[in-house]
Amino acid sequence: MTMANRRAFLFLCCSALVTPIARPSLAQTPSDRAAAFVRTTGERILAAMRSTGSVAERRKIVGPIIDQAIDVDGVAQFCLGRFWRTATPDQQQRYTKLFHEVLIGNITSKLGEYKEVKLTVGRTQTRDDIYIVSTTIERADNPPTTVDWVVGNVTSNPKVIDVIAEDTSLRITQRSDYASFLSHNNNDIDKLIRAMKDQLAQN
Amino acid sequence: MDADLCTPPVPTAVLLTRVWRVVLFAGLLAVVLTGCATPPPANDPEALAEFKQTNDPLEPTNRVFFEVNNGLDTVLLKPAAQAYRFAVPGGVRTGIHNFLSNLGATVQLSNDVMQGKPRRAGDTSMRFLINSTFGVLGVFDVATDWGYPNHETDFGLTLANWGVSDGPFLFLPVLGPSGPRDLVGFGVDMVQDPFTWVGATPGLRAFNWTKFGLSALDSRERFLDSLDQINKTALDPYATFRSLYRQHRTGQIKELRDDNRATIPVWFPQARTNATPSQAR
Repeated sequence: MTMANRRAFLFLCCSALVTPIARPSLAQTPSDRAAAFVRTTGERILAAMRSTGSVAERRKIVGPIIDQAIDVDGVAQFCLGRFWRTATPDQQQRYTKLFHEVLIGNITSKLGEYKEVKLTVGRTQTRDDIYIVSTTIERADNPPTTVDWVVGNVTSNPKVIDVIAEDTSLRITQRSDYASFLSHNNNDIDKLIRAMKDQLAQN
Repeated sequence: MDADLCTPPVPTAVLLTRVWRVVLFAGLLAVVLTGCATPPPANDPEALAEFKQTNDPLEPTNRVFFEVNNGLDTVLLKPAAQAYRFAVPGGVRTGIHNFLSNLGATVQLSNDVMQGKPRRAGDTSMRFLINSTFGVLGVFDVATDWGYPNHETDFGLTLANWGVSDGPFLFLPVLGPSGPRDLVGFGVDMVQDPFTWVGATPGLRAFNWTKFGLSALDSRERFLDSLDQINKTALDPYATFRSLYRQHRTGQIKELRDDNRATIPVWFPQARTNATPSQAR
């Protein structure tokens, strides 16, 4: 290889390395931003999945990622549905705090199953101000799963507001769980809070 | 085996009719004993709207069957599925799943045609031809790699495509979450299935029961992790399963309705394709 050839080769290598990294920063459309946000978040979560530490350690790594990437307060309010308005400010505060812990606990316990995962980001759809980024998750010995990430507030501070796995929405499922629990417990929010505490203690 | 030789051969269809008579009787008894759900008072419009949206007037009865099924699952199906996972390697389990899925091709094709979905019918036919031959009796799913993806379908979805709504929620003994439309769909699919009608010799009867048992093991094994997760994280697992079932069916119906892929070959100038992303390959 001559000097000129080598230089051309090196240049090509460098540009090949730089291009995929530079692309997200050049991308200005909200759709691309939403997709880039999901890709980064997905990769951070995948990295946490691969960490072989104890459950408590994983919780420590995953907690901040969830708080940063997911609109946990918004999801918590959605999941309480019509009962949010009837709750006292104190109940709202206790419930939201518990919801954070329950969500982190649920995701962490799920992480154990999700080692050796490949995440591919697909197309993005828009509905009003909300962006839905489709991804495919592949695991060994399992058929690929379609997971849609619903991202809000894309232009200023993007946050995941729902995760739809195989047509089932995480927050709608959670809301029907809480609604049914409350309707069988005299709509008593304190009982819901107690049940959430028990659940946390068990897991 | 001795019992098989002594008793006169009974077709599976007749046996299943007997099973259904028992199930129907148990169902009626449970409705009489547990009654219906009480709607919330009219002065609470939000609760009333939620009650109507949930559309589960037989909730107390459904919950009884939910508990019965959970009991059966704990002592029977779940340990069997765990043993199946432990004893049979993943690759073999996939082969068994593919084999069973290939046996359902006739029912699948019939529904594709009744739904008026030519590309789906084409996929099903090609899958059956390719997988039954190159895929060694359906054990290997070669067709997916060759551009003929699988899809789920049943007569419940056919009815939905014809405009029949799902109706009130039902949780059935053994069968699990359903509704009037999907229950009728289950019955019609059984009638449509040639295997229902061929069980008149001991050999074929044994084959049918093995197929039935393996299908149960295969589907339960596939849900081992997700069902554990739901039971661990849900405060009211019954309501969670109800919601998941409904959302899943709604998703399947939407995917079916949106699947309007053209039937003209790829090399022919395409006038208008309206493919859904998951099927456009």
